[in-house]
Amino acid sequence: MKDDKKINIVLAGQGNAGKSVVFNYLTGLHQHIGNWAGKTIEKKEGTLYYKGYTIDILDLPGIYSLNTYSEEEVISREYIVHQKPEFVINIIDAVNLERNLMFTLQLLELECPVILVLNMMDLARKKGIAIDTGKLGHLLNTPVVPTVALRGSGITTIIDKVIELKDKEKSYNPPEYGKEIEKCISVLSEKLKDSHLPYPPRWMAIKLLEKDKDIIKLVKDYSKDIVTEAEELGSDLEGIHGHDSSIVISDERSHLAAQITRLVVEISPRQKPSLNEKLDFITTHKLFGYLVMIGIMGGMFLTVFGFGNWLSSRFDLLFGTWHDWWNEAFGISFASSLGWSAVESVLALIQIALPYILPFYVLLYILEDWGYIARISFLMDNLMHRMGIHGKGCISFIIGLGCNVPGCLSCRIMESRRERFITAVLVTMVPCSAVSVIVFGLVGKYVGLWWALGLYLFAMVIIFIVGKISSRFFLGEPVELIMQMPDYKTPHLKTIVSQTWEALKEFIYIAAPIVIIAGVLIQAIHLAGWMPAISDVLSPVTVNWLGLPAVTGILLIFGILRKELILVMLAAYLGTTNFGDVLTARQMITLAVVSMFYIPCVATISVLWKDYGWKKAMIICIIEILFAILLAGIVSRLLSFMM
Amino acid sequence: MDDNKDLKSLTEIRDGQLAVIVSISGGRALTKRLADLGLRSGIMVKVLRSALFSGPVQIELCGSRLVLGQGLASKIMVKEG
Repeated sequence: MKDDKKINIVLAGQGNAGKSVVFNYLTGLHQHIGNWAGKTIEKKEGTLYYKGYTIDILDLPGIYSLNTYSEEEVISREYIVHQKPEFVINIIDAVNLERNLMFTLQLLELECPVILVLNMMDLARKKGIAIDTGKLGHLLNTPVVPTVALRGSGITTIIDKVIELKDKEKSYNPPEYGKEIEKCISVLSEKLKDSHLPYPPRWMAIKLLEKDKDIIKLVKDYSKDIVTEAEELGSDLEGIHGHDSSIVISDERSHLAAQITRLVVEISPRQKPSLNEKLDFITTHKLFGYLVMIGIMGGMFLTVFGFGNWLSSRFDLLFGTWHDWWNEAFGISFASSLGWSAVESVLALIQIALPYILPFYVLLYILEDWGYIARISFLMDNLMHRMGIHGKGCISFIIGLGCNVPGCLSCRIMESRRERFITAVLVTMVPCSAVSVIVFGLVGKYVGLWWALGLYLFAMVIIFIVGKISSRFFLGEPVELIMQMPDYKTPHLKTIVSQTWEALKEFIYIAAPIVIIAGVLIQAIHLAGWMPAISDVLSPVTVNWLGLPAVTGILLIFGILRKELILVMLAAYLGTTNFGDVLTARQMITLAVVSMFYIPCVATISVLWKDYGWKKAMIICIIEILFAILLAGIVSRLLSFMM
Repeated sequence: MDDNKDLKSLTEIRDGQLAVIVSISGGRALTKRLADLGLRSGIMVKVLRSALFSGPVQIELCGSRLVLGQGLASKIMVKEG
């Protein structure tokens, strides 16, 4: 029996239209972010309880069309057709109406119940853009709700509309195109009427003319004749218009979108360049743009490390005595030690990782909300391209400098599977804040600051080379950058807070369990007295090849858990933090190089496992271990000539 | 081969210049994808910015700003003005 008070809706629209803001506003804390089955694309679902109704909301990924250019588009289209949500809420950016309408038209072709949300009305007004929402609704035959999502205005009106129209008879008037095209469409859709295929006949007809491979295959199975006829009609259209029929269809949508926009929008001319344009001029300038970027990135670093160091030491003071309390409470035994290692793992995450990740995310989301991240993609795209990835990959690297876990997670924003994977692998080679602890605390302090900075440079060079090699190795073209440049806007506090919270939640859910398990495991091995044996086994590598003290073997194993443990455990083992007494400069640098490039920490491995499968994760680990050992050994020998 | 001597690729247009798209020198899939974004022959775009080291190109189209990777932009053939 159908539950009358339950409604199922979906949010669809282009990126930058404010979809996430609406979603967050509607679902608040009743959100769940998972994955679409078998894919690395985020699935955002939430629930809203409103006026006695339970409304399930799914936020589709931001997409530009419903063709098959990307997995996001395919997922969205399939979901709408097969799951038949009661309403598709199409969120449109009022400032870019014409461009957004091209997507809306595709949605309307699908003959699903659409409610149009015209967002960013305030920005439009500021730009002198006035939109006749009544006329727009009339022309498209859909309800239109103007909103300013950031202020929350109009959002409840959307839901009121949903409730109002819920039980009403729904009629669909898909957009009409030019006469010759409509003729072709009706011939084909007539033939497809009785096919019992899950898509609307008219839509399938359009897709056939657009030469959509998936639909052609589907229809061919039903009737080869229809496909042949579609090809003939397509050639006719090509003869009339001079373009391939798939282009003709796109043209029709563009024309219709332009026509509607002309009828509905009135622009009062702007006099002088807006603040946005001036800002854009500097931040994307061929020279100043890069200087500004270095400045902003530098400022971000100093803030993150400054704040991180401060917060970390606060936690250090706070947790300092907990081990003693534990031992007093539970005594010293095998079990209590294991118990403590579980607790310690969590504390270490809080004390060591969190103080850096928190400010990192906050600053990142501020920059993103402001609109600057898009400018970074713009400035860095060419360099990223030479590494075989997209401009957006730069963002993942920046995040990875704070912590590889969210860095790898952020690779989901890339469009193709190939790029997601390459970027994730490269991110694991980015020195995270834990590695920085080693670089600064060991090399920086005892060998010299320039050496420490040199190591970072070295890492960047290595990443670039590996990127270049992997882009040759993994066949396939990197996806070209196509993105809309958003206007700069004042960052919105609520958005930033909720995004940061979501990011932290995900980090904790993924990292904490793995870290706890691994921590307990290593402690168990240690208590069983197997550590010396293990370090002996590893000594051919550690002592002979790398020139490091034998204890390094165990340290590197602990390092798999958390990289800064390498230093922490070394201090514990030596009974001193005066590393200069025990290691030579050459050894310090060698140790730093190994730490940077060998196996990602356990938490990162868990992300790779989750997003790319255990096989790929294992291969990455093994290759990186071998690579790091080889590299560090070579570095060690080169240094012995210099020192 | 094009016998139109004024044909340039989008990457050769200077910042602030207007250009009319003439053709796309790519396969059907690419042409279609660009067409879906509103980039088709006969459309006028304004080149806003190009990044250093022959990076992406920022253009203005139908009142909104689009960024295109250099590889893509180099395949869009235009006529100045």
